[in-house]
Amino acid sequence: MANIRLLDKRRKSIKNIRKITRTMELIATARFKKAMDRASAASDYTNLITAIVQDLAKSGTEVSHPLLQSRETVKAAEMLLLTSNRGLCGGYNGSVLRLALQRRNEIAETIGSSPMSVSGKRGISALKFRGIPLEKTFTQFDDAPAFDEVAKIADDLMERFITGKIDRVDVVYTKFLTVSKQVAVVETLLPISSLAIDSKKVNASAVTDVASGASKLKDDYEFLPSAESILEEVVPAAFRARVFKCFLDAAVSEQIARMIAMKSATENAGDIIKQLSRTFNRARQSKITQEIMEIIGGVEALG
Amino acid sequence: MATIRCVVVTPEKTELDLQADSLTVPLYDGEIGILPGRAPMVGRLGFGIMKVKQGSSETSHYVDGGFVQVRREAVYVLTDRMLKPESIDKAQASSDLEKALAIVSSSPETFALKDRAVSQARAKLRLQA
Repeated sequence: MANIRLLDKRRKSIKNIRKITRTMELIATARFKKAMDRASAASDYTNLITAIVQDLAKSGTEVSHPLLQSRETVKAAEMLLLTSNRGLCGGYNGSVLRLALQRRNEIAETIGSSPMSVSGKRGISALKFRGIPLEKTFTQFDDAPAFDEVAKIADDLMERFITGKIDRVDVVYTKFLTVSKQVAVVETLLPISSLAIDSKKVNASAVTDVASGASKLKDDYEFLPSAESILEEVVPAAFRARVFKCFLDAAVSEQIARMIAMKSATENAGDIIKQLSRTFNRARQSKITQEIMEIIGGVEALG
Repeated sequence: MATIRCVVVTPEKTELDLQADSLTVPLYDGEIGILPGRAPMVGRLGFGIMKVKQGSSETSHYVDGGFVQVRREAVYVLTDRMLKPESIDKAQASSDLEKALAIVSSSPETFALKDRAVSQARAKLRLQA
């Protein structure tokens, strides 16, 4: 029976697939740990920047900066979309894309112009397929986005915002809440709504523990050259750090999504193998039975 | 002798966290020396060399702008990049300087950009000298 050979072939190929998905799961786990370490290492900087801003505010400095002012009429709202370069990560890209397209439609109704910048090959190809023009595309970000690269994007956005080419910047990315929960979100990057970057979810390291503990004491700071000048520099730095955090979050979430997708693929492959083995054994047994019957029939016919 | 905790943080990670006798950081207009027990301060950094003194040894690093904050418990240096002096390429720095000087500045924004690039490249070159 050709069926038996066919079943065996299928079972073999599924076993191979299971090997591959299991390896991918292990790789994703290792990468997730690395990305997670990077993300928590980066939280010190954002915590300290926030601390400086708080100290500035406490010292009575009026916190105002062009990047903080929201515009009355929004004529152009840029959207930055963070997707992955590679697939096989479950609904990771799908949910971000769905949210981005929904937001784009909303913007199209109220504002009109909405240039889109996309990071990640998956997002680029998906939007190209839908015929959406892209402002800028980035494919250089993998599981370890470099700050220098992100800073370039942030600087470019800030420049266009200040010169009035765009009036708002939204970012669509997968936010990392906990290891078991990541959600696709839209956040307004510019104008900056608040300078405090919530970084409490990443386990605060020893460096920032001290920083938060000591801020209860009131200190009179000396500002060199002046509080205003510090503020002028702090706001862009905080913005860059915030964009960087979005990229880090997206990288961590991508690895988690891939881990989960590959885990369920491996389990699914196991189930299929079990089923196929059962059918295969049954087919083999019935073939043997049939052959014996044939032999007995032949013997009886002779005798 | 009293020591001072010195923490250098970049957006990517914490680069340094150690007890030092004193440290010198480049402010926007010149160097500032910080000893244990200094009054709280927030300062804007320029581009240049940061020196950390521990006993008889002194280590230097290049810092790329940012801020320094002196708190009761420690000195925090927030910078975009921290490099070892030996990792700075002199040829690269001088070509950067040439490029920066060649920028035509027609508006306050581009002037600020040029100014930044020039002082960055000069600070790197000074390190080598």
